[in-house]
Amino acid sequence: MKGRFLSLLVPPTAWLVVFLVVPTAVLALAGFSTEGVRALAEPVTWLLFWRSFRIAVVSTALCLAVSYPVAYYIAGCGKRWRAILLFLVVLPFWTNLLVRTYALKFCLDPLGWSSTESAVVLALVQSFLPFMILPLYSSIEKLPRRLLEASQDLGASPARTFWSVTVPLTLPGIAAGCILVFIPVLGIFALPEFIDERTPMVGSQINLYFMKNRNPGAGSALTLILMVLTITLTGIYSRFRKSEGLV
Amino acid sequence: MKKLLAGFTALVLAALYAPIAVMMLFSFNESKYSVRWTGFTVDWYLKLAQDTTLHRELGNTLVLAGSTTVLATVLGTMAALAARDAFRGKRLYSTLIALPVMVPDIVLAIALRALFDAVHWKLSLVTAIVAHTTFNLSYVAVVVSARLQGLDRSIELAGQDLGASPVRAFWKVTLPAILPGVLSGAVLAFTLSFDDFVITYFTTSPGDGTLPMRIYSMVRFAVTPEINALSSVILVASLALIVAALKISKVPVAGGGR
Repeated sequence: MKGRFLSLLVPPTAWLVVFLVVPTAVLALAGFSTEGVRALAEPVTWLLFWRSFRIAVVSTALCLAVSYPVAYYIAGCGKRWRAILLFLVVLPFWTNLLVRTYALKFCLDPLGWSSTESAVVLALVQSFLPFMILPLYSSIEKLPRRLLEASQDLGASPARTFWSVTVPLTLPGIAAGCILVFIPVLGIFALPEFIDERTPMVGSQINLYFMKNRNPGAGSALTLILMVLTITLTGIYSRFRKSEGLV
Repeated sequence: MKKLLAGFTALVLAALYAPIAVMMLFSFNESKYSVRWTGFTVDWYLKLAQDTTLHRELGNTLVLAGSTTVLATVLGTMAALAARDAFRGKRLYSTLIALPVMVPDIVLAIALRALFDAVHWKLSLVTAIVAHTTFNLSYVAVVVSARLQGLDRSIELAGQDLGASPVRAFWKVTLPAILPGVLSGAVLAFTLSFDDFVITYFTTSPGDGTLPMRIYSMVRFAVTPEINALSSVILVASLALIVAALKISKVPVAGGGR
């Protein structure tokens, strides 16, 4: 039994140590090189992080605002329609992200609407919508209807019921959706370049350092910060989720 | 209120699908300057069919996705099976498995690129397969784990009590029971690998390009009806794959990614 357990455990663990832990160590070493530290001293680096952060916050907020009514509606549908609508929501994200972004660009270009930061945000919201709708849906679906009825019976207006009962009870779904959208958007690459060359984000700068400027040290330093930021966020999120379970 | 929500949902779905529909429609447009409709043609598809570089890139994409699927499915299933037992350091183990999914894909891509550069491992399809296996292993492990949770372990143990060797018990009892999960994981790995751009871009050489890399360089150059045609082909291929997968293994579609 023990031998079987080890023969199952060792291969994937060894793979992840060699191709995940070791690369992270190499990345850290490269990031702390002279070029890496110099890149961190450049104001443009922090300007890019600020822009990526801002775009990620706005895209996540818009995703949430658009997804909540959609998830709410789907959760209230009959079984058959629920399956159909969920399928339609999820289907696009089984397809290539670049192709979908290109399709959007193809439609925006003639309208003269691409090549702006807001077009980049629009493309991001459109691409990451399913990541928000799904966790929201599973949260709303579990909502005990009788609590909503109780709130209304006790005289709360629909708006008050929504803000004091529905939203707090679906907070886990909201948090999960926000994490699932925010993290990939923060490190997005290629999508912003497609829509607007002049809206570079952190990902574009990393690409520039690695592929054009032949400065892997600087690229590694930026990647390292991105990694620390996202892991910290996920850590906070899982702690938050745990306290949810205790309350 | 209900009507309002229904209308809004319809609007959002339209916004998701309309650009794709318009792009596909214009892949049949005669005009090279794709904004106005001038007439129906399949020329752009014929042009793709004659593009030998594209054939090689299609081959690369399939080799990459195929090899990744095999490696990631085997390793990911092992990881999920090992995680059933309680052992010291299990939390660390779970974090390690989840890590590739937790960080943005560019982080994993650059970390591996830094490793390949450091050990002077020449970039090729092989390095891309290594990179793809690393992130897909996690996805497969998550999907298979979900399936394992519903599995009654006593059946497996009963098999062994009745004299089956652990290996035989695995092939005869465990594997058939988790097969739908394993297949879903495999389909997910193939799809993610087939569609991936960022990780491939940083971990392969330009000479070993894939279809998404071709799209990237074409769009950076100019918008042409050929891109519409190629994009449409890729979309239809992905959709055919997912529909086929749904038919054979009842894949939980909600498990997709990236």
